[in-house]
Amino acid sequence: MSAITQTPAEKQSIKKFRLNSSLIRILRYTFTRILTLFITVVIGIYLTIVIANMGGYVDVIMKGEIRDRITQLILNNKAYQQMDVETRQALIQEKIAAEEKRVGLDVPIAIRNFRYLKNALLLDLGRAINITSDSGSKQVRLILLERLPPTLLLMGTSQLFLFFFSIFIALNLSRNYGSFWDKVMIALSPSSAVPPWFYGIFLILIFASGLKILPFGGMVDAPPPVNKIDYALSVLKHLLLPGLSLIISSFFLSVYNYRTFFLIYATEDYVDMARAKGLKANDIERKYILRPTLPNIITNFALLIIGLWTGALFTETVFLWPGLGRTLFQAIGQYDTPIIVGSTIIYAYLLAMTVFILNFVYALVDPRVKIGE
Amino acid sequence: MKQKIYTLLSVLMLLSMLFAACAPATAPVTDEPVASVVPSVTDEAPAATEEAPTTERHGGWLDEIVVSVVSGDSAISQIQAGAIDFFSFNLASDVYPAIQEAKLLASQSLGGYYGISLNPAVFADSAVLNPFSNRKIRESLNWLIDRNYINQEIFAGGSLPKLLPITTQLVEYTNLIDTARALESKYAFNAEKAKEVINAEMVAMGAELVDGKWQFNGKPVTLIFLIRSDGDGTRQPIGDYVSNQLESVGFTVDRQYKTASEAFPIWQGTVAAEGQWHLYTAGYGVSGLSSLRDESGNIQQSYLNTSIQSSEPFISNVSDPEFQKLGDDLAQGVYTDKEARDKAMARALELALEDSLFVWVIDQQTYAPYADNVQVTYDLATGPESTNSGPYNLRFIDQEGGTMRIGTNDLFTEPWNGVAGSNWIWDGWVLRMTTQGSSNVTGAGGMMADPYTGLAYPQRIASAQLTHVEGLPINQNLDWLTVETVPQIDVPADTWVDWDAENQRFITVGEKYPDGLTANIKSTVVYPADLFETIKWHDGSPLSAGDFVMNIIQSLDLGKPESALYDESLALSINAFLESFKGYRIVSTDPLTIEAYTDFYQRDAELNIVTLWPQDLYGLGYENPWTVLAVSNLAEANKEIAFSEDKAGVLEVEQTNWIGGPSLEVLNKYLDQAASESYIPFEATLGEYISKEEADLRYANLKAWVEAHNHYLVGTGPYYLDQVFLTEKSAVLKNFADFPDLANRWSQFSEPKRATTVLDGPGQVTVGSEAVFDAYITFKDEPYLLTDIARVKYILYDVTGTVLEVGDAVAVEDGHFQVTLSAESTAKLPTGSARLEVAVVPIPVAIPSFTSFDFVAQ
Repeated sequence: MSAITQTPAEKQSIKKFRLNSSLIRILRYTFTRILTLFITVVIGIYLTIVIANMGGYVDVIMKGEIRDRITQLILNNKAYQQMDVETRQALIQEKIAAEEKRVGLDVPIAIRNFRYLKNALLLDLGRAINITSDSGSKQVRLILLERLPPTLLLMGTSQLFLFFFSIFIALNLSRNYGSFWDKVMIALSPSSAVPPWFYGIFLILIFASGLKILPFGGMVDAPPPVNKIDYALSVLKHLLLPGLSLIISSFFLSVYNYRTFFLIYATEDYVDMARAKGLKANDIERKYILRPTLPNIITNFALLIIGLWTGALFTETVFLWPGLGRTLFQAIGQYDTPIIVGSTIIYAYLLAMTVFILNFVYALVDPRVKIGE
Repeated sequence: MKQKIYTLLSVLMLLSMLFAACAPATAPVTDEPVASVVPSVTDEAPAATEEAPTTERHGGWLDEIVVSVVSGDSAISQIQAGAIDFFSFNLASDVYPAIQEAKLLASQSLGGYYGISLNPAVFADSAVLNPFSNRKIRESLNWLIDRNYINQEIFAGGSLPKLLPITTQLVEYTNLIDTARALESKYAFNAEKAKEVINAEMVAMGAELVDGKWQFNGKPVTLIFLIRSDGDGTRQPIGDYVSNQLESVGFTVDRQYKTASEAFPIWQGTVAAEGQWHLYTAGYGVSGLSSLRDESGNIQQSYLNTSIQSSEPFISNVSDPEFQKLGDDLAQGVYTDKEARDKAMARALELALEDSLFVWVIDQQTYAPYADNVQVTYDLATGPESTNSGPYNLRFIDQEGGTMRIGTNDLFTEPWNGVAGSNWIWDGWVLRMTTQGSSNVTGAGGMMADPYTGLAYPQRIASAQLTHVEGLPINQNLDWLTVETVPQIDVPADTWVDWDAENQRFITVGEKYPDGLTANIKSTVVYPADLFETIKWHDGSPLSAGDFVMNIIQSLDLGKPESALYDESLALSINAFLESFKGYRIVSTDPLTIEAYTDFYQRDAELNIVTLWPQDLYGLGYENPWTVLAVSNLAEANKEIAFSEDKAGVLEVEQTNWIGGPSLEVLNKYLDQAASESYIPFEATLGEYISKEEADLRYANLKAWVEAHNHYLVGTGPYYLDQVFLTEKSAVLKNFADFPDLANRWSQFSEPKRATTVLDGPGQVTVGSEAVFDAYITFKDEPYLLTDIARVKYILYDVTGTVLEVGDAVAVEDGHFQVTLSAESTAKLPTGSARLEVAVVPIPVAIPSFTSFDFVAQ
């Protein structure tokens, strides 16, 4: 029985075939994945638009609000009170019609929904209906961009701190399973059921109202310091309480999650095998526990990063933090569909991109994962 | 075991947090007896300025004011913590106990009013009965609702029970005090009486009471109650209380809790006869005290199908013909004199309660807290942020200068510009500091509104004359103006009455009305001879006649399709204004003398004086130098920015913002262009008032200002806007040392001179014999001057609360009046307890002082 031998040309050909095959597989996967993600985004955005408009009921609400506002306007103007009834009514009707036209209520809701969808997908975020940026702009893009830095600062600081510190503590706890601190963490983990704004109120009561050492809210002292260092220190001072409330509200649960996660991986057979082989504890931890958990940790981290975009709706509101969350909260209250859609489409695109990229990252960090298979 | 303990501890911790959060935020409601007179926090204020403090300081009392956004929830804590000195935005009256507990001072002003709107229509579906289509059932709700209970339980006793369609204990109420008190007595809480009326009327309408519940055609009579769950949170408990009361007399109530945007389309957006609602918790805001001096329009506005609101449920209300005529006549001013008007109002109030399209509940009082070392002047109707004299008198007690930190609800909600910019109350508050006045008095900057009476005083007027046609019910209260009546006022042919945007010149009465034009009112104002020397803009430029004329043009030009600045959204208001506009006439520029003609008039002569000022004609509070308007107009004409939000939306450009954002770059570009060309806007007309030299100087000053402060908000007020921080939501204002007046110019308005009255007399009165009672009236323990008291009325009630007699007390000396009940008067008293009430109507403040004395008639 003789071995089948391959000539170098054949080997080259097989290698090339495999390469082509892999390339096609990846391309096919990429195309399919992008297509499905895009369809998901389209459906998600359309649903957001429909929900934000409450299936068209927002039109009724907005028409009512317009009528109320304009009637009150006329009502409070003495100059109109001695006007004859017909002229006054005609004026009110004209003003109502003009306002309805301005906010686009003269166009049927179905057409508006598709217009919103098309513009959103093209990232043409358009103009807000009621909300104005601090600089006075109605452009949704500018409104969101203006609020992005404060949100990134608050959410970024708190969430990154939370992420890394949680992993660090969780790893230590997993090494000391059953210790006093392990039990303390488990006992305190239900405290994460309390939302961050709730902790915020307590922190304000203690540190601002009681001890008078930290500000009640806002992003910087009034007036803001001129010196950049003083400005940064002032922002830091204002960041402490909202940041702390966000961290406290998730810290114990986050630690509990990661600690449990590490414990599960630490009890896998191959880890026991490594221990039996006498490998160093550090090596076991780094190569046998942390590495397999990497895809999950990366996923969490990636979602955390894009989650920064949404801000913290209530916490920002409690602390008067001028971020995206507070803007979104206002937009929902004022039925400002362009802002809601604008914020959602960006999040949707970021999420779709992250999911797409993560598929490749998994393949890079975990040899067991093959793209397209 | 340990794990269980830890779990238990964590659960306990969470529960403690939850309980703590659910605990009442403010002190519990006390069991003190119901008070019908609102508590006065200002009574506890330390003596601030009984006499005008002397000073050589110009502008405001403070060196610097820092305004920033602060959450109302933490306002009291922030003042206690020293983070701010004053929270200027009005807080609802349920915080009143917390303010007292914190030992803070507070302004006290009217914050709007609440009532129950009833559906008056007979429903299209005849199988469904609408009890409120019956006027008597509507009227009975006035007995069914205990307004004092609502005030105590929901508003912590800090507001005023409201029965009438006029503001409780304000100018109109004081004017009609005997009618008001008699009606309050007649409609005092009496659930049994309400039940009697409802029973009789429901049976008459074909309903029957089955097991304590009303049924019609075999089905329960269900009332759909739209209860607002948003706003300050008080409408929901009001709605629940009224629902309980309705259920107690046999109705089934479907309580539908809705936000404004959900309830409004049903309340005013559906035909009343469709029966989609029966009751709605309505609420209304108020404007300045000046506008509340005459509330005769309220009858038409709140009840009649001719209401200015011209929507449901008003248009479905079929009123009593006498009531309809009275309401319409009062709104249109169809009465001969004050006596006839007051008589008509008194009758209209009686009929309003019989109609009861609205059942009024509460005149809410609001409170803006401040530290005890701060002095605040505030309009009794609207509070500190809407008070023109507020910025002048704002100070630390017994101190000149210093930095005051003020918190408010929001800032920079919309772009700022003097044509169609933000008019949010908090933005207007900052603007007021930079101007000499705003819109709550006709003509704004030329006059100053008295925050305690709503009358106007001259600020930049040397002399003023009011001429009106005979027969108009106009009263003169103050002596700074002269008033004359004439059979007819002919508007002179050279009066400006419209604007020709194409040729950039005014259209005169002679051109527009060749057959002549008449008006009801002519106001002639002579400004001080040194006006243009003493008044300076914050950029250092002197005020000029060009500023006045430019603002008139600007207010008209934007409504003309031929103009490069045409704005369709503003044209509506401009055209409406022109319909009643009878013209302005600049008689002289040295001294500046301006005549204004109009058909619109107010009952107080002082409020009919029109002092034009460099502001828009429609009441927006900005002061507009002609240079800033010119630069903004250039940018608008080139479609790079737009004054109004609507036009900006259509052009897809930014709305003009004088204090920040992308507009500044555009404005800077056109400022350079205007300066290089010595540009005079509307030159065909303004060329007569503005020279090239003035233009050069003014543009140079404006440019230097913008370079120093990075914004275009230039005023003439006691403070100038030094720095603006849009994202950080704060503003820094500094004292304007070049302001012509001393800081004590309006110290007379430092605090409201609210009277305190004590009534004393015999504890027992023999029926049929004379009895004398003494009323002692003081302000800060000093006798109230007789010259400061308009009148003191007394009202005698019997044991049932029925009014037996109303009369005037007699002045004895300063702070002392006497009520003498004659033998005939006491003869009317049934034996048993009786009550004498006095109402003191002071001149310096629009709020009367009430007190009563109980005695036994035997």
